Amino acid sequence: MDGFKKSLDTALGVILCNIVIAVLVHLIIVMEFVPSMIIMVAVVGIILVLDRFGVVNAMFDAFIHHKAVAIISGVILLIASPISLGSQNYAAHITTTAIIYMIACLGLNFQMGSTDMTNFAPAAFMGVGAYSVALCTVKLGWSPWVGILIGILLSVLFGLVMGLPTLKTKGYYLSLVTMAMQLAFTQVINIMPALGGSNGIPGVGRFTLFGLELYKRYTVAGIRFAPQIPYMFMCLAFLVGLTYVAMRVYYSKSGLSLNTIAQDDIAANCMGINVSRQKLFAFVIGGIFCSIAGSLFAGLDSYVGPETYSFSKSLMLICMLILGGMDNSIGIIAGAFLLTIISEKLRDVADFQQLVYGLILVIMLIVRPNGIIPKRVRNYCGITKRSVVRPAEPQKNPAE
Amino acid sequence: MGLERVVNLLPGAVMMGCTYTLVAIGYCLFFGVLDVVVFCCGDIAMFGAFGIVGAYTILYSAGLIQALPLVVMVLLLLLIAAILCAALGLVSYYVSIKPFEKSSTLMPLLSTIALGTVIKEVLGLVFQPVVNGMAQAAINVPDPKSVVGGRNPQGMPHLIAPTGTTMERNLIIIAIMVVILMALFIFLNKTKMGLSMQAISQNRELAFMTGIDVKRIILTTFLIGGVLLSVGGFVLGNYQSIIRFDGGTMYGIKGFSAAVVGGLKSTWGAVIGGMLLGFVEVFAAGLLNGGTQWQNIIAFLVIIVFIIFKPEGIIGEKTVEKV
Repeated sequence: MDGFKKSLDTALGVILCNIVIAVLVHLIIVMEFVPSMIIMVAVVGIILVLDRFGVVNAMFDAFIHHKAVAIISGVILLIASPISLGSQNYAAHITTTAIIYMIACLGLNFQMGSTDMTNFAPAAFMGVGAYSVALCTVKLGWSPWVGILIGILLSVLFGLVMGLPTLKTKGYYLSLVTMAMQLAFTQVINIMPALGGSNGIPGVGRFTLFGLELYKRYTVAGIRFAPQIPYMFMCLAFLVGLTYVAMRVYYSKSGLSLNTIAQDDIAANCMGINVSRQKLFAFVIGGIFCSIAGSLFAGLDSYVGPETYSFSKSLMLICMLILGGMDNSIGIIAGAFLLTIISEKLRDVADFQQLVYGLILVIMLIVRPNGIIPKRVRNYCGITKRSVVRPAEPQKNPAE
Repeated sequence: MGLERVVNLLPGAVMMGCTYTLVAIGYCLFFGVLDVVVFCCGDIAMFGAFGIVGAYTILYSAGLIQALPLVVMVLLLLLIAAILCAALGLVSYYVSIKPFEKSSTLMPLLSTIALGTVIKEVLGLVFQPVVNGMAQAAINVPDPKSVVGGRNPQGMPHLIAPTGTTMERNLIIIAIMVVILMALFIFLNKTKMGLSMQAISQNRELAFMTGIDVKRIILTTFLIGGVLLSVGGFVLGNYQSIIRFDGGTMYGIKGFSAAVVGGLKSTWGAVIGGMLLGFVEVFAAGLLNGGTQWQNIIAFLVIIVFIIFKPEGIIGEKTVEKV
């Protein structure tokens, strides 16, 4: 196993890793329900086995050591992956949905993963973004980009309002407040005719970029691409950018303070961390992420309705977070991807969706509460390329 | 708004308050002995209500219901529901709480929510096909193909005073509730078991030191909580006369809110909180224009305001966190 780890820690190993991951993801997306599930279960099983031998950690280390190679090959594969889907509408649709959920989960992670504040209202934040895009395009006739910006502003406000109780309460009380806000959000939308009521708002405007329509069939080099492909590129760009932001926050002083608050907020306060400010920060930045995800979702479906942003959607996002592994961006992305694929492929038997979430959550919590790819120890030396401690000399056994 | 209107709304409000009180007491009992919030209480209650409907349907098609007097029948049905709910309470303890005794408080919260989802989805998927099939088998339908599966709302038979008015029914339910609450308070304050429960709720380690069998008490608490919840489901179903498989979520959250408003460790607090919530809801619906739409939102606003300004509840001790 050690030799394998060592061969992983080369430029070639990193590229191969990337390619293997990309091929597996492609297969899971494209295959029919049964083979896709078999591959998925096998992949999860292999990850769990490899993790036991420390290979997953070695992989992370290898990616950090060969950052440039990893990033370049990753970007090439990311650009290739939408193209590889070609004209498969449905595969493109579920992949785009998965990307959007990944963004929302990254946002939710600031509160649930980093700070250990249970937030049962990520779907409400998504709804804020989605409804602002819908209202801007349908009622006011503005561009959806303005909608995204307004959604971000509103979600900052909403995050501050939602964050205020966190300064006074925590634990169960906090979860109850967020739950009440989520339920109240759905109810308010249901009874406001200006917001479309329970019928929702159809015909939300599509995104355009420099006059280029992002939801349209394009024919490039003789291949008729699925209409979602250009949109998927945009969502991918958002995902990459926001993942970068999330990782930077995680490694920043702020991320460290959030983790300290999660451990013990009194101790954090004693150490001079402004607990109220950091908690509000977690709610606001998480809200912005979720709001962007909601805006993108409205652009994909071209429809917003109260049922899309209800309590069960929040539960689904939480389930993704726990499945993937809290407080680890890569784990969260994996969890969101797996659960979206499962639920979207289960669409033919939609009655079972909620049951599947519930079962996955119960089983994961009992079997592996830290998720598939759990939180790692922060590796500041590897990332900043500056060694705080001199590498230890290989110790000689005194018996020799 | 006249005084008459208020008086007319009063029994309904007390009724609603009573149903919330039952769930809130369930939360209080569980929180008292275990310090965790068992979030599937509402779904367990709904399970009890469905159990009553199922037992009624099957017994009716077997011809047993018609042969028995009403009171005996209701008691029999309640007994069945109580057994089902108590069993489910034990299952929820073993599946969603026991594995997380040593981990953070977030875990049992999530696992009980997940278990609640499983319970309600199984109810929605399985109940109607199975019960209708069994009922048809009981009346010897040769071809039980006409079974409709699905997640439709389920009608609840009127079991309490079937020929009486709504007012009479409400009064009977309130009377039942008072009897149950009295029994519960006598149990908690006069029997050895109830006193041990309170001891555990105050200090678990010390209770263990004084020779109280903590594990047995916890299991008993779950049994008693299950029985209370089954009554809650029964009453709620009779009040609304229609039950939905996913109605338990809202009911559970309202009950938990009532418990929090009253103070999470106090049973009297649960009664007060439940009544407060019931009154707020029913009066908001009855007195405001178009209030039925706003009643839930107003109830949630009250909860949020309470949590922000008085998080320890109406009769809860203010806890100062020590390092």
